[in-house]
Amino acid sequence: MFTPKLTEPVLTKRIPTYPFGDEADRRIVSYDDYVKTGGYGALRAALAMPPEDVVNAVKESGLRGRGGAGFPTGLKWTFLPKADDPDEPGVRYLAVNADESEPGTFKDRLLLDYDPHLMLEGIAIACYACRLSVAYVYIRGEYHHQARVVENAIKEAYEHGVFGAKGLLDGADTATGKPWAVECHLHRGAGAYICGEETALLESIEGKRGWPRNKPPFPAIEGLFGKPTIINNVETLAHVPSIVEHGADWFKTMGCESSLGGPPSYGSKLMGVSGHVNRPGVYECDLGIPLRVLVEDHSKGMRNGKKFKSAIVGGASTGVIGPDDFDAPMDFDIGRRCNVLGLGTACPTIFDEDTDMVAVARNLARFYKHESCGQCTPCREGSGWMLQLLERIEAGDGRTKDLDLTLEIATSMGAMPGTTICGLADGNNWAVRTILNKFRGEFEARVKPTYVPVTVAVGAAANG
Amino acid sequence: MPTITINGVACEFTPGQTVLQVATANGIDIPHYCYHEGLSIVASCRICLAEVWAPNPRNDNALEPIPKLLPTCQIQAQDGQHVYTDSPRATANQKAVMEYLLVNHPLDCPVCDQAGECKLQDYSYEHGRGVSRFEETKVKQPKKDVGPNVLLYSDRCIMCTRCVRFTREVTGTNELIVQGRGNKEQIDLFPGKALDNPLASNVIDLCPVGALLDKDFLFKKRVWDLTSSPSVDGITSSGDNLWIDHADGRVYRVRPRTNLEVNLWWITDEVRYGWKHVHSEDRLATPKRRQHGARVETEWPRAIAEAVRGVRRAVDEGRRLAVLLSPMLTSEEAFLLAETARAFDPDAILGLGPVPTVGEDRAFPPSRDGEPVHQSPRSPSPGQPPRPFIMRAEKCPNARGVRRVIEGIGATPLDVVGFVTAIKDHGVGAVILTGNYPSAWSTPDLRGALAREGLFVVLADTLDSPLVELTDVVLPAATWVEKAGTFENAEGRLQSFEAAIRPVAGARAEGQIALDLHAELEQERAKADGAGGSPAGVTPKPARLYDAAATRRRMAEASDALRVFITHTHQPPAQHLRQTDMPVVEV
Ligand SMILES: Cc1cc2nc3c(=O)[nH]c(=O)nc-3n(C[C@H](O)[C@H](O)[C@H](O)COP(=O)(O)O)c2cc1C
Ligand code: SF4
Ligand code: SF4
Ligand code: FES
Repeated sequence: MFTPKLTEPVLTKRIPTYPFGDEADRRIVSYDDYVKTGGYGALRAALAMPPEDVVNAVKESGLRGRGGAGFPTGLKWTFLPKADDPDEPGVRYLAVNADESEPGTFKDRLLLDYDPHLMLEGIAIACYACRLSVAYVYIRGEYHHQARVVENAIKEAYEHGVFGAKGLLDGADTATGKPWAVECHLHRGAGAYICGEETALLESIEGKRGWPRNKPPFPAIEGLFGKPTIINNVETLAHVPSIVEHGADWFKTMGCESSLGGPPSYGSKLMGVSGHVNRPGVYECDLGIPLRVLVEDHSKGMRNGKKFKSAIVGGASTGVIGPDDFDAPMDFDIGRRCNVLGLGTACPTIFDEDTDMVAVARNLARFYKHESCGQCTPCREGSGWMLQLLERIEAGDGRTKDLDLTLEIATSMGAMPGTTICGLADGNNWAVRTILNKFRGEFEARVKPTYVPVTVAVGAAANG
Repeated sequence: MPTITINGVACEFTPGQTVLQVATANGIDIPHYCYHEGLSIVASCRICLAEVWAPNPRNDNALEPIPKLLPTCQIQAQDGQHVYTDSPRATANQKAVMEYLLVNHPLDCPVCDQAGECKLQDYSYEHGRGVSRFEETKVKQPKKDVGPNVLLYSDRCIMCTRCVRFTREVTGTNELIVQGRGNKEQIDLFPGKALDNPLASNVIDLCPVGALLDKDFLFKKRVWDLTSSPSVDGITSSGDNLWIDHADGRVYRVRPRTNLEVNLWWITDEVRYGWKHVHSEDRLATPKRRQHGARVETEWPRAIAEAVRGVRRAVDEGRRLAVLLSPMLTSEEAFLLAETARAFDPDAILGLGPVPTVGEDRAFPPSRDGEPVHQSPRSPSPGQPPRPFIMRAEKCPNARGVRRVIEGIGATPLDVVGFVTAIKDHGVGAVILTGNYPSAWSTPDLRGALAREGLFVVLADTLDSPLVELTDVVLPAATWVEKAGTFENAEGRLQSFEAAIRPVAGARAEGQIALDLHAELEQERAKADGAGGSPAGVTPKPARLYDAAATRRRMAEASDALRVFITHTHQPPAQHLRQTDMPVVEV
């Protein structure tokens, strides 16, 4: 039996969400509302601490990136080059990843929709701690409404002296003895998934084509406009104020330890459930909550009383789990435990027993083929080839050798084997590979000469 | 020196070099498409990947494998590393990339100009899998006319982006872009622009496949039928190093020959297409002489004899000989002509032909405030020379060399204006003119001066022009690709070259003409001297054959100032003199 340790909402403190509040009460949190409920107190507390202490607090909390890779945030912050003079480190940037384009992922959106100041406070603290002077919020092109909300929040923050040339909080004195000034800009994407990849995001802000860069050099050394740059997800930054306010130990009371002897998964996490459930939505939960609880409690169970068959774990790129893994805890160990790429964004898409997994594979392959930036040969050509193979298999024109070829193509491409520059190819690889491996029977049936096609519309095909 | 082991071969390197550069320097071939020495590194084609084992300092420097394959074009060599591009994983990747690249390739080698010098063909042969498992539909892409000299066959493109980076990083003109995404992506023109800049056609050589092709060369010749001869720019003062590709005595195209001290990897389009006059309809092919006021064709011996007679007569009358030495001549030829002139008339007037200039020197990438304007601040190739490529305003190859020769033999060259003034003087009785410009070059002033009654005019030139009508003897001369010699470029660099093709029918190098005139003169003099004694006993002495290397040795003997032609002349590197013809395999 799973007992939640999260007794009070953290990220959703001002956004009523099940089980802590009623969605009907949600409204945009203005600057005044935010401050009235204790907002920007964490920033004030942070400014009273030496910047290194803030970094250390985040490091000790064990906070891991919420953008997909789960990289320890505090550690990332220490990768910045040491400035000779901490007060004059030169221009260094923070890029906030609000591109949220991973299929099935819509958790940052909740914060952007209702509580943008939480992210802005996180930005201000991160900039103070890491000695960054300019922040760019790179927001997904399709987030028109959210862009307006954030734009307005940034304006409010400037008006109230949070940002601006005078220094954070109207030039408030800091533990270093000098105010620290931060400029914050909103940059809107143009609708390319690849611009969520951190280095493509930097290229895009620079006004170039969103083509991921080779690493090294890592952005912390040579990032935006060639300057040291930290890239963090919206939700990651939104966690920072409460860590500063309540301390690392408080943060560790939520979430879970690793059962596989790996690094722990502390803290709460926004989980966006979609697919064949009764109440899709974003819920704040402990890391480590079993998927079954998320589906049966938070999401009010499977739609039409159907049986659970499979789920994309956390955004299409992570791949799928089979029916046996319904009880899998949603923590950063899920990759190793359930043979998927990782926890990803922790936004599962649930499939019921009627789902045609061949169509799912084809639909995801179509997405990656469409979104491949086209730089690396294996991703550019492999994604197109794989889609055509899957389309043929789905139509009943495939042969068994096509399954092996699809697997071979999928397995050979990705940044992890090193054959591509960025992780988009890994996403494509894991999505197709896990479906094909875990539901091979369905594919085998399709390529048998006796197969009679039955149409089940999924994804784009469903829309015509 | 630090050492890296590539495919089992220990190679020393200088820190900062990439693994691919170290391999190339040590004669190890690693396949590569997107990497080019002269451009930034993008590491996107992924064919150069290698398996790397590196010493781990935390484990007593034991060699440990790095789990990922790494791009050798991008990673810098580290001491003690072991790199394998021939391991099973690395070769599996090469096979996979080759298969991917051919997925949407039309495989139309039989009608593709690039066939024979195509990296897709070469690497398919060396690293490919022989068969394709692709049974689906290919993406079809259009042919595009992208500029005055260049065609783009998008369907053959492998998206290495060399061409795009070239227009960004070298010319700074940004005409080419990548359009679209995924496998629909293609190279395209920036809206409203055409690939039209002074260096545009370099993208043809840069393109590793048959996607960017030369309109001028299109369907003219299969490349395996061409012979490549190293040469030097004979059109401008840049001294760009060239390959002259020719077959059956015809030039088909000109390409840059890499020389990091001169032209880097590039040439301007004016040099690339500047050989057209070699096979022009207007080439002078047959010697002519004046007969009753009209020019009639004649044979070489008669033309030479008549030229010598005319000049001698003028000199014997106590009038001067004036010789105009064109800056299109090689230094050796200028020397031989000057020597011949002095044999006729020890006080001969020597002039330097017109030195055409157009605009000003232009640097690529263009600089702003002394800093080159690059579009790519990141990852320039390590060892990329900081020098820019210069397009020269001076449109002749050897003004400096000819002047150096004239001054070296103790004379002062007159410029064209001085020369014209000099020949207007009735003290001048004979003129020898050399031209060899790619287009008409004489001025009305010069023509006016030549029209003077009683002036004997010999013209050695390549193209028919109004000058011909003013001369007594016309001697068809040879362009630089048809002869050997040395040019001194704008930076004072002496570079020698050999003939690529034989002189087109009937023409002779000006160096040969000088020797012929000289021999004829000596023979005439011998005849005159011997006239009293043994009237029958004169055997004609044949002219020597023009030999540039031998002439340089004679120049060094003749004057200390000309010793530089022995000590400082750059020759094409030995490996460039070897022919790289495709071996014919008997089946
Ligand atoms: C193809 C691709 C797309 C990505 N898209 C997003 C995205 O939309 N939002 C995001 O936060 N991270 C995205 N990421 C992850 C980022 O590259 C990066 O890891 C993350 O922004 C780092 O922030 P964090 O450490 O705070 O998680 C993407 C990665 C890849 C490879
Ligand atoms: S892996 Fe795909 S998306 Fe990523 S850089 Fe390469 S081609 Fe672009
Ligand atoms: S046209 Fe040629 S040079 Fe340009 S990207 Fe394509 S293959 Fe490379
Ligand atoms: S040559 Fe190294 S990736 Fe293209």
